[in-house]
Order: sequence, then C-alpha cells, then structure tokens
Amino acid sequence: MREEHNTDRKSPPQIWAIGGGKGGVGKSVVSAVLAFWLARMGKRTVLVDLDLGGANQHTLLGIKNPLKTLNDFITRKFSTLEDVCIDTEAQNLRLISGASDVLSLANPHFSQKVKLINHFSRIDADYVMLDLGAGTSFNVLDFFLAANKKIVVLTPEPTSIQNAYIFIRNAVYRRLSRLSSKTPSLQALIKTAMDPKNVLKIRTVKELLQFIEESGGKDVMEVLKKEIDNIRLTVITNMARDNKERNAGRIVQTVAEKYLTIQSTDLLSVSYDKQINAMVSDMVPLINLDQSSHAFADIYEIASKLL
Amino acid sequence: MDEPIDRQESLVTRIIDGSITIDSLKEFENLLKIFPDNPRLHRVFADFLAQKKPFDAVNAYEISANLFTKAGQTLQAIVSKIFEWRLAKPSHQEEQEFYADLHKGNSKEVPVQRFFAGLVFEQLIAFMNELTPRYIPEQTMMKKFGDRETHMSFVVSGALEQTTHHPLKKYEKVREKTKKDLIENDFFGEIYPFEEEKVSQTDIKTITRVELAEISKSMLTKICRQNPDVELLVDHLYLARLKSDEKEFAKIVRKTVRHQVPTQINLKVFQDHGDKAPLELSGFTNDISLGGASVVLGATYQVGHSFNLIGRNVKIQMCLPIESIVINMLGTIVWGKDVPLEGKTTTIVGIQFKEMTDIDRGLLKEYCYGSEGEQNLIWSLWGSLLEK
Repeated sequence: MREEHNTDRKSPPQIWAIGGGKGGVGKSVVSAVLAFWLARMGKRTVLVDLDLGGANQHTLLGIKNPLKTLNDFITRKFSTLEDVCIDTEAQNLRLISGASDVLSLANPHFSQKVKLINHFSRIDADYVMLDLGAGTSFNVLDFFLAANKKIVVLTPEPTSIQNAYIFIRNAVYRRLSRLSSKTPSLQALIKTAMDPKNVLKIRTVKELLQFIEESGGKDVMEVLKKEIDNIRLTVITNMARDNKERNAGRIVQTVAEKYLTIQSTDLLSVSYDKQINAMVSDMVPLINLDQSSHAFADIYEIASKLL
Repeated sequence: MDEPIDRQESLVTRIIDGSITIDSLKEFENLLKIFPDNPRLHRVFADFLAQKKPFDAVNAYEISANLFTKAGQTLQAIVSKIFEWRLAKPSHQEEQEFYADLHKGNSKEVPVQRFFAGLVFEQLIAFMNELTPRYIPEQTMMKKFGDRETHMSFVVSGALEQTTHHPLKKYEKVREKTKKDLIENDFFGEIYPFEEEKVSQTDIKTITRVELAEISKSMLTKICRQNPDVELLVDHLYLARLKSDEKEFAKIVRKTVRHQVPTQINLKVFQDHGDKAPLELSGFTNDISLGGASVVLGATYQVGHSFNLIGRNVKIQMCLPIESIVINMLGTIVWGKDVPLEGKTTTIVGIQFKEMTDIDRGLLKEYCYGSEGEQNLIWSLWGSLLEK
C-alpha cells in the first residue's frame, strides 16, 4: 500500500463507469486513455478492470503479468482495494487488474456488490474508472448504476447502437427494480414489464410509468420518474470516421428520451484511429500512443468536459 | 400492441406485407391453425378467399375485424368490416353491434383513432359508406408536387415516403425538401379547410405495398355539412398532425418496416426415417422473434419443393452477432416458399421455435430487444442520420 495515498484524504473519489453492451466497441481503450488523461491532468486515478470475462487493461497499460488482481481482494487475500492497486508507467495512474471469472462464477448477491462498490469509494484517489465488461448482466448494470458518471461507449454500427440502447434500457429497469425491492407488487410489475410477452401490453418504460399512473399510482410513478431523471448519461461514439458517424450517439439519446424518458444525455465522440487498432493488436501500451493521434486528442477533450 | 400479434408477426410478416403470396387454401388453413389470433393474416386470408370463395370470405373478414377491434386497431377493423359488408349487406343490428364493439376496444393513442372514436353511430356508418380501401404496390408515386388535392387518405398498412417542398426563401435558388415516413394510422391529403382549393406541396411515394382507405373531398364535405361535429373532428385531426410535425425529429422517427441485422442460422432438418442423416442447411434471417424466424436458405441448396420441408422438426443453431453468442434450439418448419433470389431460386422457411433453455431464451429476448417502436425508431434514425 502506498502511504502517500493515505494522507490528506478529503472526499471519496468520483466513480466513472464505462459500459456499452457490446464487446469490441472500444470500452477498454476509451477507459484506459480517459484514465491516462485524468492522471496527466494531475488527478489521482485508479482504473479498475471489471471486464470479468476478458480482462485486458494490464496489457493496454503495458503490464505483462499483474502480480495482484481484483481476485485477490475478493478472495480476501488482501483486505483493501488499495492493496491490489498496481502502479503503472504513467504518473498518478494505478490499475486494479481484472479477475477473470470470479464474479461471474460466484454471481455475488446484490449486497456483496454494494460492499465492493463501497470499497471503490474508499480508494484513495480522485477518480476511479470502472471498465465494465460486455453484456447487460446484473453485475455490469449494478456497477454502472452505482457510478457517479455513467458512460456508454458505442460505435457507428447498427448492432452496437442497438446494444447500447438495450444496455441503457436494462439499466433503467434494473434501477427501478432495485428501487422497488421493498414493494413486491411494484417489483413484480416492473419484472412483468421487462418481459416482451407481458399480458399488460407494457412495452416500454414510458408505458410502464403511464400504466402505474393510470392505475392510481401517481405518487409511485413520480418517485420512479425522479429516479430515472437522476440517470444522467454520457454517450461516447467511438471510432467515428466522419461527422455523420458521430450521430450514432444521438440515435441512442433520442430513443432513450422517447421510450425511457431519460432527459439528460451528453454526447461526445472519438475519431477512428488506425494507430490505436494497430497498437492494441501489437500489444503496445496505449500510454506510448503518439499524442498527435486524433483519438487521443478527442479523449483529452472528453476528459476535460467531464471533469 | 397485442402480444400474440407481436410474436407471430415475425413468422408471417412476409405473407402479410405481400412479399410472399400464398396461393393454396390448405397452406392458409395450416397457417391459421398455428396463428389463429393474427388479424392481419386473417385479413390476407379473407382477401384470398374473396377471389375464390366470396361466401367464406365474409366470415374471414369478420374474424379479422373482430381481432383488429380487440387489438385496438380501429382503422384496420373498419376496413375489414367494409369488405365484409360489401360481400354481405349488414342488418342495422349488426352495424350497431360493430359500433359498440369498436367503442369497447377503442384505442385513442393516435389522432386517427381519436377521430374514429369521436364519431357517433350514424356518422361512423356514413363515413364507412364513403371510405374506399385500395392496395398500392411498393415504389409507386402516389402524388406529385403541384397535383390537385382531391382526397384524404388513411394509411391502413405499409409505409410511404412524403417529401415536402418548402416555399423558396429569400436568396434561395432551390426549394428545401424534408422527408417523412407515413405509416399505418397516418393520413395525407390537404383537403381541409374545404373552402380552399389546394395543390400538393409534397411528393408521396410508397415504400412498401400500402393499403389506403380514401375518402373524396366532396364526400367528406357533404358528411361534414350534414354533421358539423364531424367537421370538428376533422379539424382536430389536421391540428394534431400539425402539432406532431412541429416536433423535432417527427420527420424521421417512424418507419413501419421491421428491420433486423441479418443473423446466420444453421439448420439440421430431421428426415421422416430415423436412419437417414439429417439435412444440413444454412441461411440467414432478418426477421426473428422469441416465437420463431423466417429463414432464407442459401441459393445453392437443392432442397426440392419447399413444401417437402413443412412439418419437419429442425435443430436450429443461431449465431447472434451480440458477443459471438450461439443459441441452440429445436423447432418446426411451419411454412415454406420457393422464391427468386439474386437470379436463382431459393427457399424461405418459417420456423416456429419449440424448445430452448432458459438461458438461451434470455439471450434471444435480449437480442429481440424492446418494443417494435424502439426498434423502428433506432432504424429510422439510423437511416436518416448515418446511412450513407
């Protein structure tokens, strides 16, 4: 554990989570470069590789064999997450390397995830960046929803856009479902609404809210609506080759506004950069990236805007 | 939307949208046994029977109208009823029963539904008497900029593209154009206020095969003169459309055609005799739901007549693009059709899914994501904002 991180601690770190549903859209690269830029801006940053099926952040950051991983914390080999943080070549940037299969196999209970999230909040850093895995499992969604900044990465491809939207949709349902966990009838209704074959003919979150309101539950509807209003998203269109492709995030924004009643979405984009693709293929650490790279510059802009 | 319709549409969409024509009574009957609650399929069946057995068509139109009514699809129910009553004149009681049923299941989600819901019995019957349904093939130019406006047309099914030519602004040499898709329950035709003679400011072209229900300006004017309440409803209808047009994205957000990313499918078709090895085929589907899929087989397969495949059990391997997931399940081929594709003949088969694990069902559910509205909006925006 690094002593200097235990002194002068003022407030818990801001947690940023990066998800997006589909694999291969560049979540890990965006997370790594974003974390790198935050660190370069003088923010003490910890990047956490929560891509439990395919942890690769250590490779992107030039660490061949991480000696400690998240697994060591989960299996209680170490008592704090600070203990499993690894220094990287970049100043102010540390990494918690991924622990393949542990969480996904153990399928932790929600309370265990809450504990883990609490531990993230205790890391001595300014920013904790969670690189989530692909898919929309509860594990991924719960970490996403717990973050202060919820970032969705997609590419300008139909499948990626659809998956990003579904990721957000499932996150909304998950949030509502958790919120209603002490009201079994409401939770059952939300679960019913998630089933595309439901007999109530509720097809979208918006229709769910309408149904609750029309059933005399205006107060409940307002509580749920307020909860959705608190979900502020940042959608990053990655690998955009031109201005037209930068619109991919706008699609998700529009559909989420119409059907999920999400009112607040920031749209940002990262240019396609073949240099990054080549570096990832050749396992060259991203921190060695030529800083004239457009993508690198775009992510710097994103980091500046999101701070 | 009614759930069974949603599920079953994936299997019979091609028949309903007219891209596949069923020409055998037996084939239709088999399909209707499997999909008894699909009003659109009953409607296609009724149209088919009307050519061959008009007496039987009456019953089929009636079933279709009832199912549309239950599903809250007022305009579609009215059109089915118009056809039914053309073949068999209704009694006053039957007319009243239809009106009552329509109001029981009346949905008021869209302006056109609110319009019909607002008509009293006599007004509805008067309106139905003047409403003329007709099919228009895909890619047909319906109306051009400058044409005289003579009809109001309700979209019963299908999709059209409306291109509006905006007035020239100062210093502009070219008129600005905006495009909007018209889908079922939309309407077009600038015939109101009735006193004004208008020419079209739009081009309207069908995207798919479309069914319209049209009423002439002169007839609508006549009805409105006799029933001032109806004119008020017409006024509300145009006002609602104006408001809708003003909303951002209104011109780009809707599209009725169901799109999907092509999904690779591998099939093992089991033979009647257990000692024969299963026939291994592969193809793709762009029409898939939790209930089934229609699969276009590769053009190189020599499977003989498609009807030989109907009723066969199949093992399906579906390769979802989401994270390279493969789903395995069992199903039955419930319909098949030989169709021309890329200069060759291939077979499209409709498969009803029978067995899959809960995990696979969950994955497929995720893949079939969300409501049709959500999907359509994503694709409509994709077409407008990103497609090159």
